[in-house]
Amino acid sequence: MSKNVKTSHGLGLSAKNKIGNIIAHVVIVTMCFIWVLPFVGILLESFRMETTMQVGYLIPKDFGIGNYIALFEKTNFAKWYTNTLIVGIFVSIIQTFTVLCVSYTLSRMRFKGRRFLMNMMLVLGMFPGFITVIVLYNILSDLNMTGVNAVPGLILLYTASSGMGYYVAKGFFDTISKSLDEAARIDGASRAQVMFTIILPLAKPIVIYTILTAFMAPWGDFMTAAYIAHNTSEGMNVAVGIQNMIGSQMSLNAHYTHFCAAGVLVAIPITILFFALQKYYVEGVTGGAVKG
Amino acid sequence: MKKRITSILALLVACMTLLTACTGNPTQNPSGDSTGDLKGTYEITVWVSEIDGMKELTEKQIDAFEAANPGIVINATVEGISEANSATQMLTSVEDGADLYCFAQDQLARLVIAGALNKLGDGAAATVKENNDAISVGAASVGGVLYCYPLTSDNGYYMYYDKSVIKESSLDSLEAIIADCEAAGRNFSYELANNAWYNAGFFFATGCVSDWTTDAEGNFTSVNDTFNSDAGLIALKGMQKVLKSKAHVESSNVADFSAAIPSAVVISGPWASKDAQAALGENYAATDLPSFEVDGKSYHIGSFSGNKLMGVKPSTDVKKTAVLNQLALYLTNGDCQLERFNQFGWGPSNLKAQANDAVKNDPALVALAKQSEFAKPQPQIHGSWWDICKLPAVAAKDATTDDELKAALAKYKTDIDALFEMTEDQKQAWSVIGTVNGTNWDTDFAMEKESDNVYVSKDVFAMTAGMEFKVRQGASWDVNFGGDGQPGGANYIVEADGNYKVKLTINADGTAVLELVAQ
Repeated sequence: MSKNVKTSHGLGLSAKNKIGNIIAHVVIVTMCFIWVLPFVGILLESFRMETTMQVGYLIPKDFGIGNYIALFEKTNFAKWYTNTLIVGIFVSIIQTFTVLCVSYTLSRMRFKGRRFLMNMMLVLGMFPGFITVIVLYNILSDLNMTGVNAVPGLILLYTASSGMGYYVAKGFFDTISKSLDEAARIDGASRAQVMFTIILPLAKPIVIYTILTAFMAPWGDFMTAAYIAHNTSEGMNVAVGIQNMIGSQMSLNAHYTHFCAAGVLVAIPITILFFALQKYYVEGVTGGAVKG
Repeated sequence: MKKRITSILALLVACMTLLTACTGNPTQNPSGDSTGDLKGTYEITVWVSEIDGMKELTEKQIDAFEAANPGIVINATVEGISEANSATQMLTSVEDGADLYCFAQDQLARLVIAGALNKLGDGAAATVKENNDAISVGAASVGGVLYCYPLTSDNGYYMYYDKSVIKESSLDSLEAIIADCEAAGRNFSYELANNAWYNAGFFFATGCVSDWTTDAEGNFTSVNDTFNSDAGLIALKGMQKVLKSKAHVESSNVADFSAAIPSAVVISGPWASKDAQAALGENYAATDLPSFEVDGKSYHIGSFSGNKLMGVKPSTDVKKTAVLNQLALYLTNGDCQLERFNQFGWGPSNLKAQANDAVKNDPALVALAKQSEFAKPQPQIHGSWWDICKLPAVAAKDATTDDELKAALAKYKTDIDALFEMTEDQKQAWSVIGTVNGTNWDTDFAMEKESDNVYVSKDVFAMTAGMEFKVRQGASWDVNFGGDGQPGGANYIVEADGNYKVKLTINADGTAVLELVAQ
């Protein structure tokens, strides 16, 4: 009796599980397909050779890398790409350094006005940055950091208030035991030594997370970069440059496939970065979220 | 002291003479004979269209200008920039903007208000008027004054179609064209709900107008708009025929000719002619817009006709300004416009270039010319209108009854009027008007609310006996009081000299007491 019950119960459950799994997998695979389709579309468009216009089918009739070549020969793409890369690298270095220092300070030290400072930065950070874009433009223009000189201007702009993004990193530092600091201090290490030699190696995930986010913001930024470049091709970043390339219907039809090729090239470094650092990234986000 | 004043005055007069000589009439001799005093090297930035080849052509044309004007050396940085970006960035910072820049005419009023353009000198203005068609001269003017140089006369739209689908006999009827598209399972691309520039053609077809007036500074002062009328209702019904068709696609891109479900008709302009030709091959054809029929009456769809313009950034360097104006005049002359036509299909505004055989026989420009009979020169239009006028078309897409269409038009009218309307506070505000403070019934002096129904003037007026004034609400004469306290009564006449504030107390019965409070 009991055996029968068990058997029928077990069979039922496994059948139910199977059906559930199948449904779940079908849904997930469908979602993945839908999610991946636009990227596949862009990739295929970038290899389409028969026309530079938008067309109504997905698979190119004529494959080739002509769009990539045209991108470098006909447009200023190499310059835009280099600009973006320079800005991205500088910003990620400066911003990572600033954010880690600010976070470490706020996590480890107690000083007058600390709470007020943290709240103040939180409130200031809530203002959308683009409301100040015209003012910032004029300031940078006075410093001769717009147009052709947009690259240093953008680096300054992106890094200027970066210390305010301290929350996640501070949260992570809070999870590392303070006794480590104390032990090191007793052994005679300075504050800086404690941070760079003891704490940072333990906080690798958050360092990587900070580098990644610091790199991504300027990499994909359009609006600020568009204002600062002020219609100067030499000073554009990649997003502004390729948008300008398809600025009117006539140019859209002349450059649509080049635009897709540019999209693929823009995606490459960020994709590589993510795949390489994926493990740390997830750890960094969730690690910092445990304790605020 | 006297000597110093005299010398300063002399210096000022000299400066003024120099200014009028150079900026006021920078192109007295556009042929270049007057370049003697303009000799020098100039660093300039030029923003032209971003389309392939335009940058190179412009550089070539600037070289030709240098060759024609010995002594003038121009180091030009030419940037290919879309026209929309060009105007936007000029408005962001005129100072950092290009010295010469191209833009579509709808941006003109904004650019003038922002100080990104100066009036043309008399000589340049005369040359522009003499050599370009009247419509383009109008497009380059604000308040009747020329501010920039016409570059093209081709910013209009008409119909590109696939000859193999649309029957010759259908070409004059919107209904027949829609039927042909539906029967062949092909699409009809007409940008109506997203773009007032295209949908206004239906309103013009039925005789509606939207005429805006600006003052000399480019500020909009009034509008005569008849879209909210029976004619407007007919226009929306015509538009519905397209909007409700299963063949309709909301687009004006000729790439639709090679879409998944290819369009058989695309309403677009001359900039698309080469792409349309490439997409349709031997089936390529273009003609004017068709007519639609409502209640047995036929209406030919209208359109806007417009221009691309070239502007010169105002500068304090008079010599440079003079050279820039000469260069702009050169770049917009007949030969340069013809070169642009040959390379990009841009329709010239220059009369001599328009008379060229190739221009006269270009199929796209022929279609544009055919449509021009029904086209309305694009006037200076308030920037908000472009968004406001989308809404009736959006509503027409879903509307099933006349009442819904009427409501959409009424909403349109309210939105237009609101552009000129005062705020509720402004309407309620009281002011003193009269012969006070040296004015003559032409200036309102604000009053402040002291308590409910009691208002006191902000200023203290130095009044003399016999001076007259009244108080009025909302800067209009609908509600006003004078000395007798009756609505619309006689003026208040001051009895004795003195410094006074004006105090108004409104009674519950609708009369008022007006008194002077000595200060």
